[in-house]
Amino acid sequence: MRHYLSNIYLGVYTALVGMRITFKQMLQPSVTHQYPYDRSFEQKKNVREIPKGYRGKLDNRIEDCIGCKKCELICPVDCITIATQKLPKGERLWDSMNVVHLKDRTEIVGNIEGDEKPASNTTVTINTRDDRTVNVSSEEIANIVERKPVIFYLDQFDIDMSLCMYCGLCTEVCPTECLIMFDNLSDGVEYSTFDRTDLIYEFAKPEMYEQPADESTEAEAAD
Amino acid sequence: MPLSLQTENLHQFFVQSSESWAQRFVQEHAPVLTHLPAPLGELLIMLACCVIFVAVVPLLPLGLVLAERKVSAHIQDRVGPMRVGPHGILQTLADGVKLIFKEDHIPREGDKFLFVVSPYIIFACSFAVFAAIPFGQSILVSELNIGIFYIMAISSVIVMGVIMAGWASNSKWSLLGAMRSAAQIVSYEIPIGLCILTVVMLAQSLNMQEIVKGQDGIGNWLIFRTPFTFIAFFVFFVSAIAEVNRTPFDLPEAESELVAGFHTEYSGMRFALFFIAEYANMFAVSAIAVTLFLGGWHGIVPTEMLPESGILGFVLRAITLSGLLGVVIKTLFLVFVMMWIRWTLPRLRVDQLMNLCWKYFIPISFFNILGVGIWGLIFPKDSLLSIIISIVAIILGLIFTFGVLGKSLSKGPEPPPNSAERRVSATT
Amino acid sequence: MAAPQQDSKFIELKPFTDEMIVSMGPQHPSTHGVLRLELKLDGEIVRDAIPHIGYLHRCFEKHSENLSYQQIIPFTDRMDYIAAMNMNWGFCLAVEELMAAEEGKFPGVPERGEYLRILIGELNRIGSHLLSFGTYGMDIGAFTPFLYAFRDREKILLLFEKICGARLTYNYIRVGGVSRDTPPGFMDEVKEFIDYFEPQIDLYNSLLTANRIFIERTANVAVMDTEMAINYGITGPNLRGAGLQWDLRKDEPYSIYDRFDFDVPVGRDIPEVGVVAGDCWNRYKVRMDEMKESVRIIRQILDSGLPDGPVQAELKAVRPPKGEIFHRSEAPRGELGFYIISDGTPKPVRVKAKSPCFTALSALQELSRGLMVADIIAIIGSIDIVMGEVDR
Repeated sequence: MRHYLSNIYLGVYTALVGMRITFKQMLQPSVTHQYPYDRSFEQKKNVREIPKGYRGKLDNRIEDCIGCKKCELICPVDCITIATQKLPKGERLWDSMNVVHLKDRTEIVGNIEGDEKPASNTTVTINTRDDRTVNVSSEEIANIVERKPVIFYLDQFDIDMSLCMYCGLCTEVCPTECLIMFDNLSDGVEYSTFDRTDLIYEFAKPEMYEQPADESTEAEAAD
Repeated sequence: MPLSLQTENLHQFFVQSSESWAQRFVQEHAPVLTHLPAPLGELLIMLACCVIFVAVVPLLPLGLVLAERKVSAHIQDRVGPMRVGPHGILQTLADGVKLIFKEDHIPREGDKFLFVVSPYIIFACSFAVFAAIPFGQSILVSELNIGIFYIMAISSVIVMGVIMAGWASNSKWSLLGAMRSAAQIVSYEIPIGLCILTVVMLAQSLNMQEIVKGQDGIGNWLIFRTPFTFIAFFVFFVSAIAEVNRTPFDLPEAESELVAGFHTEYSGMRFALFFIAEYANMFAVSAIAVTLFLGGWHGIVPTEMLPESGILGFVLRAITLSGLLGVVIKTLFLVFVMMWIRWTLPRLRVDQLMNLCWKYFIPISFFNILGVGIWGLIFPKDSLLSIIISIVAIILGLIFTFGVLGKSLSKGPEPPPNSAERRVSATT
Repeated sequence: MAAPQQDSKFIELKPFTDEMIVSMGPQHPSTHGVLRLELKLDGEIVRDAIPHIGYLHRCFEKHSENLSYQQIIPFTDRMDYIAAMNMNWGFCLAVEELMAAEEGKFPGVPERGEYLRILIGELNRIGSHLLSFGTYGMDIGAFTPFLYAFRDREKILLLFEKICGARLTYNYIRVGGVSRDTPPGFMDEVKEFIDYFEPQIDLYNSLLTANRIFIERTANVAVMDTEMAINYGITGPNLRGAGLQWDLRKDEPYSIYDRFDFDVPVGRDIPEVGVVAGDCWNRYKVRMDEMKESVRIIRQILDSGLPDGPVQAELKAVRPPKGEIFHRSEAPRGELGFYIISDGTPKPVRVKAKSPCFTALSALQELSRGLMVADIIAIIGSIDIVMGEVDR
């Protein structure tokens, strides 16, 4: 009999406890947000931003790519295809530069004036590639990468994003930090297409290496 | 009698007349019908009432589905449908339109006739229940002298539709769901019937209107009339949840076990019929509980508080005086409690469900009947003393249960039979 | 259904019933992925339940033979995708031990790296157990705990997203350390989460664990005693739920687990409510208790603070010497072992993963015989399988 009554009591009591919890929860504001509409933090305060360093869609700043094929090698799923053509010996497309990574995860590309490795608590002046001069404190700098001179023609640099597994290994091995993953919503995440072939991104820009007109006619004549 | 914006007319219209609203409407606006031969005229009047009901009642599930989605969403820290209309109020309509346009799929190996017919049986039966529920002093389709008996009879036909649906689908999962449903609904009819019996013993009538008329004033509500009806109300309510297949008793459509139970194979409009019927059922059992235990259409809003004049005053006065407001508020509260329970509690197993019914609810219900009988012998009918004693007894009982008894009882029961034993008994 | 010949004069006391063979899965809401169970049912009673696996087989082991060690790590993410950090970690531990076999090849994981590994591993354990708690609630029929669990797991995923850039397949723990250092303010956010989460566990316990219906459904169902668990090779919370105190973090400490103070919760009999050690309820409860222990470990890290220094050892190349290794670690679902044969090249000759879920699943058949269909759901939920790890 005691077992019987106790069963009834516990059944009712624990149900009421649970109902109290859910009722309290009902009165609290909800945590979800309406994603495609509430897009960013500016619009609605409880919407979270995609954090810095998120591994989204791959992008290659092809001007900086040196065609080293390290990313192609490390890719576990072989989604990167690179075809290069070596320049004749001694030629280079541009000289070496520095990529300065700041601690807030932005970066500046250019030549550092003076010392290559700045001492602490000094101001570093960087002549950027687009002819600006930027001064940063050396405290803000996370690390400095030297970008090697380009000695390759890139004929093909394709990334098939439908194969990509977003492991981020390729961006880690890239010596010039030109292969990156977008960490914002519109570029890094929302790039779905209706056609699978649209997900193959071709980064190579042949027009980048275009020679003056007379040389190309010469080449044709030679053929 | 044309309706005018005068409250005296309202009072006369809603309160003083004893005939049903629809009957009077026909008498006053189409007196020709009353001159017809008796069976034909009555038939036409009934048809007219049916048309009104069929047009109005299906709107209830529309609202209830949305309410359920919103309640569940807020319990679960979500916001629920937000896209269609402001705060998603038209979501159910959009879903309905989608379901109408979906392919009507009938399993090739299934029993086509039963498959097609069963949604209509369930739909028709769950709506037929509404005919005997008094929504107001005169808002009721048919004032049957065996009203509650009729409701019991009609609502137990639903199980036939469920079994037909499960069988005709020719799917093992559907069949399992249908069988569970059959066992469950048939079992839970018994505690419901016994609880209704306690009410009938006190009210001395099977007529729904008569039962309500005896419950004027909050102390006269049957739930507070005796401590036994207080228990009976909860037994009735929980059994009603089981009867309409909702969590924690939603075994026939247990989504994590049987995917969708008996309506797994249904699609399109037929599925929508099941869905509408489920919510209509939910509303119906809540309305029955309100009628039997919570004073029915006896209002909870005093008419003195309402505005005297104007359209708003007229409308408010009309729905309050007619009793519609009281019924709807109380019913919606019970419906909300059902949803609240659904989104809180886990599901029972089949054998535990049967245990609960046969070992707990039915003995308790018999105990209630005995108690109500003795109570009726001791106290004269409708005496103030009995009501006071009853309410004091209920309060003391609650304090005793959750305060004193709870501490000793929460020590817990003995363990249930070992599952190893259960395994042996099942395999031999 | 051929009924046997009956003499109409006698009432058949034991009516003949056909066994119904039902296929549960691979598309079923509570088989936790693509598990298919072939059920032989007698009404509601399960005569036999034969698990069929392989629907999620992705050739992890064969694939690994063609990949270098760094390239394998993202594939370990895809094994137990609920606790991917612990999968990364298990593999890296094996490779590191293999490399350490040769003198001077492996300098050891830096201190900060070890702390970060434990922090992340325990956070992932909480996330994994949260998911287990939520889906178990849903299996039993309570939908709401599922969304509460997801709400809290979302906070953990956000932390992971900040530290490693991904929400599910982290590829964070590498051979020799971890791939990235913490972003600014990360530890404060961890503290904020832990402060929020600790009382939440008690709330969930009173919402679901103590619920009478829940206990009724899970207590004394599918009792797996210690002997049976050992015979099947079951590890992790399932073994501890059976009452055996065995946790690799405690008994065979790897990384720096020996520096932290935590308990190993085990299943026990509670006769007042009918709970028996080794039943579904205990397997579930051990997970709830382990979340508290993980919170304790994280609190100790928060109190001591992360040591300064690098997060990754300076390695020239990940090229273990010739040899073989079996290393096991305590993943949220049990002991995860990696067996690696190396021939000195950058690619392994053979990689074999010993998955805890696979062994747990093998006990399903014996556990479920003679129970009911609803109990099968309770068992699958309580042994907490992830099909990605079973099939690999």
